Amino acid sequence: MAREVLCDVLLGLAVVTVAGAALGLLLMRDAYQKLHFVTPAALVAPVLVTLAVLVRMGLTENTGETCLALLFLVIAGPYLSHATMRALRVREKGDWRPGGNGKASAEEKEA
Amino acid sequence: MVLGFAAAAIAMLIALIPAGIVLYRGDLAAAVVAFEFITAVIVMVLALLAQAFQRPSLFELPVLLAMLMFGSGLVFVRAMERWL
Repeated sequence: MAREVLCDVLLGLAVVTVAGAALGLLLMRDAYQKLHFVTPAALVAPVLVTLAVLVRMGLTENTGETCLALLFLVIAGPYLSHATMRALRVREKGDWRPGGNGKASAEEKEA
Repeated sequence: MVLGFAAAAIAMLIALIPAGIVLYRGDLAAAVVAFEFITAVIVMVLALLAQAFQRPSLFELPVLLAMLMFGSGLVFVRAMERWL
């Protein structure tokens, strides 16, 4: 009984996290601000879901595969956020570096 | 069926509506961000549904999507940076 309650609480927290992040995504002005709300949905909520599966099922194959999905999300999330931020800056300024001259060279674009 | 997991999956799908609005109505950069958001949430929804319907074989799907999310996200980001 206690495990089911704990599992439901974890799932509820995950849903609240995703719903809040979705609202933030909708309400923020530009893509830079919106990008901040991807992290709770891509990192915090998956941890909560994995914990819920762990609490419900114990150490089983299902839990292991959920942990594997969580691992991929945890690795991919920061890389994707960084790459997205970099791409947005390149689109706006022509160069991602703060001291850049505003135009990336052809070699840099090829790299 | 495990009701809590199914309810959580449905609630997360409903929570995707704002992201869908951003994807449809926002500019290109916002749409890419919304795509990353939706992909991350769908990974969780697939895991929740697999648990809800007690089908261990369906747990392959979130793992696969989580792997593909990295590649597809980078493809979109690179395309946005260079060509779009």
